[in-house]
Parts: sequence; C-alpha cells; structure tokens
Amino acid sequence: MSALRTTVAGREVAAAEGWHLEWLDRGRGIAQLSDGSRSLQVHVEGSGTRWFVTLAGRRLEVVVESWRERTLAEAQLAAAATAGPVEIRATLPGLVVAVNVAVGSEVEEGEPLVTIEAMKMQNEVRAPRAGTIGLVAVSAGAAVAAGVVLLRLD
Amino acid sequence: MRKDTGAQPGPIRTVLVANRGEIAVRIIRACREMGIASAAVYSDADRLAPHVIAADAAYRIGPAPASQSYLNIEAVLAAAKRAGADAIHPGYGFLSENAQFSRAAQDAGLIWIGPPSATQEALGDKLAARRAAGEAGVPVVPGLQVALQDDDLGAATAVGFPAMLKAAAGGGGRGMRRVEEAGELPAAMAAARREATSAFGDGTLYLERLIAPARHIEVQLLGDRGGALACLGERDCSVQRRHQKLVEETPSPAVTPEIREALFESARRVAGTVEFHNAATVEFLLDPEGNHYFLEMNTRLQVEHGVTELVTGLDLVAWQILIAGGASLDRSVLEATPRGQAIEVRVYAEDPYAGFAPVTGSVSCWRPSDGPGVRIDHALVEGVPLAVEYDPLLAKLMVHAADRPAAVRRLRRALDETLVGGLQTDLGFHRWLVEQPEFISGDYHTGLIPQRWAEGPEPSADEAALVALAAAEARRSSAGAMTPPPAARAGEGEWARRARQGALRQ
Repeated sequence: MSALRTTVAGREVAAAEGWHLEWLDRGRGIAQLSDGSRSLQVHVEGSGTRWFVTLAGRRLEVVVESWRERTLAEAQLAAAATAGPVEIRATLPGLVVAVNVAVGSEVEEGEPLVTIEAMKMQNEVRAPRAGTIGLVAVSAGAAVAAGVVLLRLD
Repeated sequence: MRKDTGAQPGPIRTVLVANRGEIAVRIIRACREMGIASAAVYSDADRLAPHVIAADAAYRIGPAPASQSYLNIEAVLAAAKRAGADAIHPGYGFLSENAQFSRAAQDAGLIWIGPPSATQEALGDKLAARRAAGEAGVPVVPGLQVALQDDDLGAATAVGFPAMLKAAAGGGGRGMRRVEEAGELPAAMAAARREATSAFGDGTLYLERLIAPARHIEVQLLGDRGGALACLGERDCSVQRRHQKLVEETPSPAVTPEIREALFESARRVAGTVEFHNAATVEFLLDPEGNHYFLEMNTRLQVEHGVTELVTGLDLVAWQILIAGGASLDRSVLEATPRGQAIEVRVYAEDPYAGFAPVTGSVSCWRPSDGPGVRIDHALVEGVPLAVEYDPLLAKLMVHAADRPAAVRRLRRALDETLVGGLQTDLGFHRWLVEQPEFISGDYHTGLIPQRWAEGPEPSADEAALVALAAAEARRSSAGAMTPPPAARAGEGEWARRARQGALRQ
C-alpha cells in the first residue's frame, strides 16, 4: 500500500520526511515518532481511512487514502452536494431549555432554533441555512448527548 | 464563641467520604495513612469507580444524576449510619458548602470535617461576606454593597463601566457577567439572574467595577478550634476560562514580600469575621499596582490544594481531619516555610480549540507522567465512558521544583510524557501555555485565555506533517489486519477486568 494521501484538518498534507513511527504499545495506541535525533510520544488510533493522532495534547483527525479511495470519496462528495434535508444535531451534551420552532416553521439562515444549557452557559443552535422545519425531535427540559438529532431542516 | 451542635470533637475512627472522583481518592489516601477507616458512597454510574475500589467499604446512594445521589442529603447520611462512620468529609463541590447538610450531619451525631454551619451560611452569601470584609478594614472591589434592583440603574451607573455583575449566592463562575456599558446591563441582569436562580435558587445580584488587568490570588488558611490560624502561602489562579481556574501555582510570580504581608493581613482579618476551623481560602484580585481586593472566602478544601502541599510538605486533608477531631495546629503548620515552586494544570475533557466545550466519550489510553517532582491526582480508568452527570475534570498534573524556571521546565517535560487518547483534552492548551513568553516570565493575568488563546492556533506545518506521517505509518503497519480501533478493544478489556474485580469484592 504505497502512495497514501493524507489530509489533516481538511487540508492535504505531505507526511513528514525523515521521520518514522514505532509502536510502544500497539494495543493502546501508544507510539513514538523519531527522526534519529529527536523523539516524540504520540497516541494513534483508528482504522481504514480514518485516524486520530494526538501530538503535544492536540488530537487531529487524519484521513489516510490510497489514490483509488480518494477518487471514490470525491465522487461521493460531489453527489451529496445537491440540497436535501439537513439533520441538526447537538454539538454539546446538555439540557434543552427552549425550542423556538415547530414542524412547518419557516426559518432563515442563522435563526436561533434551540437553546441548550451546557457548562453552565446557554448556547443557541442556529439554522445552517434557510428552510422549513420537517421534524422536531426534542422538547424543553430534555437532556441531550452530543450528536443527538434535535431537528430536521427540509 | 458559639459551640457546634451535635458531635463534639473526639477520636475519628471511620470517615464517610461524601464525594467521588480524584478528590474522594485523595481523602481516602489520607485516611489510610492515618490509620482511619474510610467509607465511600457511589451512584449507579460509579459502581466500580476508583474511589469505590480505594475505600475500605462502599455504599450505593442512588442513580447517576447527582441530584439523586451525591447531592441527596438523606441518602448520604443513611450511608454514614450504615458505615458506622463518626465523621464526614465532603471534599469540594457537591454538598461541601451546603449548611443544611453539615447541620443535618451534626444533628445525626457525626463530626463535620469543615467549618460551623453558621459560617458556611455567612460566607455563602457573597454580598454579605463582602460587606463584612469591608467593615473589617479589608479592601473590597469598588461597587455596590447592596443587591442590585432591576429598576435601579442609577446605582449601577455610579459604579462605572466596564463592570462585573455577580450573583450573591454565586460560585464557580456561575451567574457572573462582564458588562461593558450601561446599555448592556438589563439583558445581562436577566441572564445572570436566570442562571443564578437555576443554579442556586437565589437570583440576588450585585455589581462591582471591573478590575483589569488583574491576577486572581488566593491565600490558603488552616485554623483550629482553639483559634490558632496559619497562612500557608498564596496561590496564583490567573489562568482561567469562563471565570474558572485551569492552572494554579505557588508562590505567585506577582507577589512580593510586601504584597504577601498585606494579603496575609487581609486574609486573617476576613477569617476573623467568622467562627472558623478547617482549611479555607480567601480569594483576592490583585491589580498591576499591587493593590488587592477581597472577592470571597471558601471554607473547604480547594481543588488546587496540592500545590500548597508540595511546597509546604504538609498534608492539608490530614490536618482537616485532625482539626475536626480536636487537635491543635503544631509548629509544623504554624512555622511552615514554603520551599520552591509548584504548578498545577487541570486536565479536563474539554476541547480548547472549540471554546473549551465539554467533550464526551471515553479515554482509550491514559499514560500519566511520573519521575522527579511530579504528582498526579486522578480517578481515570481507560475505556470507561465519562459520566456526563459530573465534573469533566480528568486529572490534576502537579510539578514541584527548586525555583520557577525549573518548575516550568519540569511541567513541559511532564506534559510531553502525558498521553490521553480517545478524546480531545485541554492538554493541547497547556502544552501551548508553557511556551508562551508571559507564562515563562510569570507576567500574565486573567485575560490570557480570551486575549491570547481564543480558539488556539491552527496546527503548524510541522505538526500537520508529523501527524500525517504517524497516521500513514499506522495504516501501513495495520494493512491486512483490519482489527477494530484500539478504543473499542481497550474498552472491552477494561470492562472485563473491572467486572472481575467487582465479582471478587462481593
């Protein structure tokens, strides 16, 4: 599997030259990077094309693809770009304190839809684009985990 | 002097630890060293948590939500009774500042490892404590001495802007708002009042002039029942996000011997306004001219007590227990001389690149630093999902060295040795911090995170190239062996191990 392409934080990046990775504890994802004169501890986990590397306390997602995988992924992305329903998810775990819309509400881009209290602060979840609310999956008083679907925007 | 109701001080044989996580483990360790039995309490989320395993005995107190377990006074007291405990240590957070709890514990015949309930009540009202400190001749932040009413914007204007709006029942940054100008006040008051009412059941607000730039400095006190009081140095807690501490160090790089003397004098005066025996902290703001202003006094163990322990060599938790049992402070405390520099960084399950938002999931890999001058207090277990019900503090990494430059170098080394996998933590912020000129020189203030970090820098080209290499090599070395990601495997292993431990305990 040669010629792997790597994307870090959405940007294609060439792997550092002259460095290599050595596993210290493969099962737990502990490894060392070294270039012969310096070494750094890293944590690496993932599988297939999706990996997470923690270096100096920062955890970055790295997409590792062969040319073939890359071409396929680009084609899928192009197909998905056409407008369709958007699921709006909680980005933080917390308590829903207000739901400002109902099924059928017409909303503008940036309009506050749901208020979630997390970390002792109130956070607004806003409409990513204009549209009609197709589904309201939560109500005020509900505790939500990060990633939970709150609404669907059609 | 008013005597406590309930149990009189006496020998303590069994301590009920009314807390969880790293602080519960910390208290249990002190008990073990003192030859005192410890009893833990746990919610359904914590059945095999480290504090349960560390204690001599453990009692279930309810379901995962704190309101039904660690904040449930009846359940905690019932556990104390079943444990045959003669004393209760509340740790920090949860019920530690709840006067109703300390009174109920004493009415049940238990020794309360803390101050008298009346003192908790007096200091819990920050506005009243501010008035009392002012009357005792301690400088307070200029501002209102009475509650701010919605229709009394004239009083607010007299304070001047920018200002800080605070909740009288507040703490931990809740119900606190920075207000830039008079026009922002009504909206800020509504939000702060709502926050304070929901968090404390009391929406009383007051207003102080904003002191900025400022450092947040606190003085550690230890007092006994006979009235002896020791000032065990100050801690600088100026690295904050959301008005909550992230890094603490002692001594403060900004505190000269003259300032220290003035801070200690003020701390003693504030402590003199209440009847008090226990560990306590008096918090101040320090302006660039070296003037200090009283903020509040907390009569409990602080999260950051460990740095004071490192420089003084004292065990503050053991002293809390000794004092509660009636012991007097001895020379080791009254004449304690701090040595060297200690720094603590708090490791939180928070994403510093996204406004320090909380992160859920589980820690797939935890490899703490060790070696000379490193202390880590934690209750982390690999593969166990973080309980969203509780504080996202994962660990406290502390270093101690002969002087501040050596302590900063040691902290840098310890951070490089510390690995947390599975989720983003604030370790990326801490690693950045130890390279910043203002932190290295010690010349920083509470505006450091909002002004200099914000959401953190983009990954550098070198950093991106290194993580790209690591991921590509990891994929190459795993080709042909498409196993589940390490996180899942570690999780299963850990649960199996803990299930075995659980079976052994029964």
